[in-house]
Amino acid sequence: MAFTRRDIISLRAVSPERDVLVCIFQRGAADGLNSVVPYGDPDYAIKRPRIALPSPGETGGVIDLNGFFGLHPALAPIKPLYDAGRLAMVHATGIPHQSRSHFDAQALVEGAVVSKTDLSEGWIGRHLATSQALSESAFRAVSISGNVPFSLTGAIEPIAISGIQEFGLGELTGSTYQALLGDWYEPGAPYSDPAQAAIAAMDELLLANLSGYAAENGAAYPQSELGNKLSQAAQLIKSPLGTEVVCMDVGGWDHHENLPNFLPPALADLAACLQAFDTDMGTRMANITVLVQTEFGRRVADNAASGTDHGTASVAYLLGAGVNGGQVAGNWPGLGDEDLALGEDLRIETDLRTVLDELLRKRLGRADTQQVFPGFTGQPELSLFL
Amino acid sequence: MSVSRKLSRRHFLSLTGKGIGYSALAAAASACGGGGGGGAAAALPPNPPAPDPDPDPPPTARIPSPSTAFSVLKRTSFGVSKSSLAAIESIGILPYLAQQLDYGNIDATLVEAAVAAEFPLAASAPAALRPGFPDNIEAVVRDLVGATQYRACFSPRQLYEVMVEFWSNHFSIQLINGFEPVLKPEDDARVIRPHALGNFRDLLFASAKSGAMIYYLDNFLNTAEAPNENYARELLELHTMGVDGGYSEQDIKEVARCFTGWTLDFNTAEFTFVPFFHDDEPKVVLGQSIPAGGGISDGETVLDMIAAHPSTARFIATKLCRRFISDEPASGVVDSVADAFRLSNGDIRVTLEALFVSDEFMLTSDSKLSRPLEFLGQAVRSLNPDLSLPGDRGELLFGVASVLGQLPFYWPTPDGYPDTAAYWGSTGGLLNRWRIALGLSFGSFFPLNALIGAEDTIATIVERLADEVLMRPMAPSDRQLLVDWAVETIGLPADSAIPAAVIPEVLPIIVSLLLSSVYFQLR
Repeated sequence: MAFTRRDIISLRAVSPERDVLVCIFQRGAADGLNSVVPYGDPDYAIKRPRIALPSPGETGGVIDLNGFFGLHPALAPIKPLYDAGRLAMVHATGIPHQSRSHFDAQALVEGAVVSKTDLSEGWIGRHLATSQALSESAFRAVSISGNVPFSLTGAIEPIAISGIQEFGLGELTGSTYQALLGDWYEPGAPYSDPAQAAIAAMDELLLANLSGYAAENGAAYPQSELGNKLSQAAQLIKSPLGTEVVCMDVGGWDHHENLPNFLPPALADLAACLQAFDTDMGTRMANITVLVQTEFGRRVADNAASGTDHGTASVAYLLGAGVNGGQVAGNWPGLGDEDLALGEDLRIETDLRTVLDELLRKRLGRADTQQVFPGFTGQPELSLFL
Repeated sequence: MSVSRKLSRRHFLSLTGKGIGYSALAAAASACGGGGGGGAAAALPPNPPAPDPDPDPPPTARIPSPSTAFSVLKRTSFGVSKSSLAAIESIGILPYLAQQLDYGNIDATLVEAAVAAEFPLAASAPAALRPGFPDNIEAVVRDLVGATQYRACFSPRQLYEVMVEFWSNHFSIQLINGFEPVLKPEDDARVIRPHALGNFRDLLFASAKSGAMIYYLDNFLNTAEAPNENYARELLELHTMGVDGGYSEQDIKEVARCFTGWTLDFNTAEFTFVPFFHDDEPKVVLGQSIPAGGGISDGETVLDMIAAHPSTARFIATKLCRRFISDEPASGVVDSVADAFRLSNGDIRVTLEALFVSDEFMLTSDSKLSRPLEFLGQAVRSLNPDLSLPGDRGELLFGVASVLGQLPFYWPTPDGYPDTAAYWGSTGGLLNRWRIALGLSFGSFFPLNALIGAEDTIATIVERLADEVLMRPMAPSDRQLLVDWAVETIGLPADSAIPAAVIPEVLPIIVSLLLSSVYFQLR
C-alpha cells in the first residue's frame, strides 16, 4: 500500500500545464468597501460618516490605485504586487445567493450555487473529482486545518493537516502499528476513507522527509495564524507531494462594531501574508494562483457603533504571475440609493462564478466547466488571467 | 525481540506533555517530529474470507452492534463506564433514563464539592471577576473549562451534563472575546445550567437577558438611533426559528428594534433595560403588530412569539435528534419530538422523553461519530474507572480537547461546534485521535495495570483490555489481527505468559490501539 520512493519522486509539485490553486477564505464577511475603497464614488463618504477613509493624499488616506479605487493603508504591502501586474481585484462580486446568514452563505459560496437545494459538495471538490488527476498523491487536495472546508468536499478525500510536523505517529509512522490501523479501517469499515487517506499521507510525508521550513528570497511570514498556514502551504507546494489545491481560512471579519479599530490589523496581516508568500514562491508564482474571497459583503451604510451589518457584494483578490493584474475588474454599480441591492447593499455586478470559470479554464487546464458550475450560463469573462 | 527497543516510552510522553502550560500543550504535541525510525509495514496475515453475502453492506455491517444498554448509555453520556453500564443493565433502560432526566435527585455532592474546590472562579459573578480583569483571564478560562470538563467526565448526572453542553453550543458564546471572561461564567451558572433540563422559554428569556450574550452579539450597541442587527439575526436563525423558519430580512430589522435598549449596566455588568435607547415606535414582527410604547415588553413579546413558534419546535427537535440519533435524522422522529416540544410548551424533559422512546433512538446504534469531547470522556471513563481527577487540575483534559479542536467555549462563531461527522471525520481529525491515544496511553495518566487483573498472556490481556476499554464486542477478525500483531511485536506465542517486567510496556500500546480503533469512535 505504501508508496515507494520512486513513486514520490515521479510526482511533480508544480505542473506547467496547471496552476496550484491556493484559496484563502475570509470567514465572517469581510468589508470590501473599506478594503478596496471606491473613494471616487461621492456616496462612499456620505453613506459612511463614521468609518469612511479619506481620499489619497489626505492624512490616513487610501493608497490610490486608478483614480477611483484606493487600497486601505493597511493593505500597503500588496500595492507593489498590483503595480507589478500580478495582483488583481474584482469588486462588487459574489455568488448571487439571497442569504445573509454567515453559515448558509458560506455553504452557498463554497458550493458556488445560488440555492440550498443545489448544495451537495464544494466547487473545488467537483473540479477535482471531474478532472484528470496529475498523480495518485494523497495530497492532491489539502486543507491547512484539522477539518475540511465545504469547498473541498466531494469525491476526493482531502488531507486536513494543521501542522506538517505533527502529521504522523511519531516513530511509529510507517510501522506495523500503523499498518494494523490500516487493516482495521479497511474499505467497508466506518470512516475508512479518511483513515486510509491519513495513512497514505503519513507514508508519503515520511518519504518526502520534510523538515523545518525556511522561506526563500528573504520572505518573512507574519507570526500569525494565517502566516503559519501560508508558510505550510508553501512548503507543501515546493515539496514533491503533488498538491494541486490548498485551502485555508482566516477569521475575524465580522465587524458589527468599531470597524476602524478591528479591520486594519486584519488587513495588515492578510497583506503581509500575501506579500511574504509571493516573495517566498518567487518564480514558482508562474504556476500558482491565489484566490482570496469571503461569503458576502457588508452594508454600505455604517451603523451607530461604527461597524457594518451584513450586506451583499464584496471584493475578491487574485494573485499570481498568470493573473492579468494591476486592475480592479468588474462593473461598478454605484452607491447611490437607486443603485443598491435591497435598497442598502452593494449590488453584485460580477457573478463570482464568472471569475472561477475563467480561472479553471485558463489556469487549471479545464476545457469545460459545466460539471463544476452546472446550469451557470455565465457572463462575458473579465480577462483576469493570462 | 524486546518491546522496549521498538517502543520508546520517553518518545510518547512528548505526544501528550504532562505538566506543561495550558496554551503550550498543542505545541508540545508537535515536539514529536514526522520523521522516524519505524520500519516498513510487515506483512500481516490476511483476513479470513468475508462470509457476508451482501455485495454492498452498509458501512457498519462488519462491526458487531453493541447492546442496547450500551448504545443508550453511550448517546446519553460523555462515555460509558463499567459502573454505569452495570447500573443501566440492572435497573432497565427506561428507568435509567427517567432517573437521569430527574437529575436533581441524583447525588452529585462529591463532584460539585470538587468543582467548587478546584475551579472556584467557574461560577463567579461579573462583580467578583471585574476587578481582576484582564490579569485573571487565564485563571477564569482554566476554571470554567476545567469545571465543565470535570463534570462531563465525572458527574453522575451524565445526561444533564450532555444537555448543558448542548445548550452551551446552542447559545454559543466565545470565551476569549473582549470582556467575556468576566461575563461568561455567570451565563454558565445562571442561564445554561439552571435551565438545561427545564423549560426552553425560560432558557431563552434568561439568555436574552444574559450580559454575556448581550455583549457577545453586540446588543449593548443596539439603539433606537441606529439598530444593530447582530443579536436579532442570530436569535431567529440560531436560537429559535432556524434559517429557514419563515422570517424575513424585514423581520430581523423589526426584532432588532424591539431589543433596542436591552443592554449592560456598565458598573455591574448585569442586564439592564435603558428606555432612553429604546425605539418606542410601533413594530411588526412576523405579521403581528407590536404597538408603540411597549418598552421592555417589546422584546419579551418577541421572545414569547418565537418560543412558541412551530419553526422553533421543529428547529430544536432537529438539533436534538441530530445530537442523540443521527446526523440526518428522519423527518418522522423529528416531527414527533417537535410535537412534544410544542404541546409541552417547551418542556425539555418531556421533549427528550419523546425522543428516547422513539424506535429511531432505541433501535439504532453507531450512527454517530463521537466528537472529541466524547472521545476524551470515554477515554477517561474507560481508563480511570474510579473517576478521580487527574492530579493536574484539569490541565491534561484541557490540552487534549485543544489538540482535538473542541475546547469548551472556544468555537469562534455563534453557531456552536458542529455536530456531524462531515466536520469531525476528516483525515486530520482521525489522525489527531490516534496521536492522542498514544499520548494518553503512554503518559502514565491512568492506572493501566489495574485494568488487567492477573491476566498475563497476549490472548487474555487483549481480551481483557478490549472489554475494559471498548465495553462492546469486536469482530473476531479484528481481535485476531490485534493478537497476531502483538505476537509478532512481542515475539511470544499468544498463550504464553509474558514476563512480569514486560507487561507494563505492552499495556500502553494495546490500549492505544484500542482507543484508535473504529469501535472507540462510534456512538
